[in-house]
Amino acid sequence: MKFVDEFRDAELGRALAGEILAAVDPRRHYKIMEVCGGHTHSIYKYGVDDLLPSNVELVHGPGCPVCVIPMGRVDDGIALANEPGVIFTCFGDMVRVPGSDQTLLDAKARGADVRIVYSPLDALRIAKQNPEREVVFFAIGFETTAPSTALTLRRAKAEKVKNFSVMCSHVTIVPPLRALLESPDLRLDGFIGPGHVATVVGARPFQFLPDQYGKPVAISGFEPLDLLQSVLMVLRQLADGRAEVENQYARVVPWEGNLRALEIMDEVFALRAHFEWRGLGFISQSALRLSDEYAEWDAELRFSVPGVRVADPKACQCGEVLKGVIKPWECKVFGTACTPERPIGTCMVSPEGACAAYYNYGRFAREREVA
Amino acid sequence: MTECVADHGCITCGDVAIPMRVAEIDHRRCLALCESVDGQRESVEIALVEPVRAGEWLLVHAGTALSRAAVQGPLAGAQEPLVAAGREAVA
Repeated sequence: MKFVDEFRDAELGRALAGEILAAVDPRRHYKIMEVCGGHTHSIYKYGVDDLLPSNVELVHGPGCPVCVIPMGRVDDGIALANEPGVIFTCFGDMVRVPGSDQTLLDAKARGADVRIVYSPLDALRIAKQNPEREVVFFAIGFETTAPSTALTLRRAKAEKVKNFSVMCSHVTIVPPLRALLESPDLRLDGFIGPGHVATVVGARPFQFLPDQYGKPVAISGFEPLDLLQSVLMVLRQLADGRAEVENQYARVVPWEGNLRALEIMDEVFALRAHFEWRGLGFISQSALRLSDEYAEWDAELRFSVPGVRVADPKACQCGEVLKGVIKPWECKVFGTACTPERPIGTCMVSPEGACAAYYNYGRFAREREVA
Repeated sequence: MTECVADHGCITCGDVAIPMRVAEIDHRRCLALCESVDGQRESVEIALVEPVRAGEWLLVHAGTALSRAAVQGPLAGAQEPLVAAGREAVA
């Protein structure tokens, strides 16, 4: 398959594994965080971690858009979905995220008009097809997805679509990384940077990791060879005593990002003063709202949104998983009360959630076959 | 491949971006009909990558082309040789 098969070459993979083995100091334990949930998924789908020496530990980061949405935000979405005349649209994984007493899928079963869309543009299309109904789009995701929402809002404005609005829950990647590094719970040696976020924002925003925290970074693609190469880049930086942002995914990621995307995001969005992240608590300037210019399309201004803060279930340890403090299998309910079919926590909902990745690919315990 | 379904996970929520080839372009609406490697077709927003030409490959996420899918072999992102032995296998 074009653009794919060449990045899954087993022989090259084994050769990279050999280089990685040669690059590590056997007396040292390395903790490298892959920030993006898409990377976590690829690592377990392809068994990338089985090719790593036992002293190289991959720690899973907070870059799963569904996993970081707090329960209260889901409840807010359900409240909007239950408004008379509303068609509530959202991405597929969001319908299964538990709120305090139900999911959006449960709300749909009880009569709410909840529809899954592939893109914000699909939600706008539904609005144009149903001019007598109010169509709300539940916008989630990091900087990868935010430009799609921004472009859709610009279209809604240009085409004067008045029955469309957005419940904006887009988040940004840098503030939670800072929060993690400031946390005393976790010692990290380096980062595998999120390739698709960087396609939009560029590699430059990750420069703070080496500059302020002395941590090496490799912005990575999503295929197995991409990930092995990125691990090797980070390990070589550590071996050389360097800390830089290296761009393994240079075939896609420009250093400056996509300037048009950044420009339209700047027009359509403004930073929220603070936003609650699941498991990480409130982080200042870590999420986006609609700018004043687009206030007319802001669902939170158009409708009454409860905005109640809901504590996560006591049994659920998604917070610790998202911070990389514990591995999924260390959670008390992992694979028993909490499964992809009946998730308690968000990390078990999306395939990119660390818990779902571990569960789906049979990683029920730490013990692994070491190459 | 381009589905967003509850039972099989959502490629949009998962920050997945897929390469798609431009088939037809509607410049006025800033949209292009694109085809994925497994033959699925969809309408893609191209405002962020214009100008595009038919036959080009784009990297698409949530119905929006984020960049061009550059044709480059594996291990090309390295600033120094990463795999000496496997290097000649890379076209």
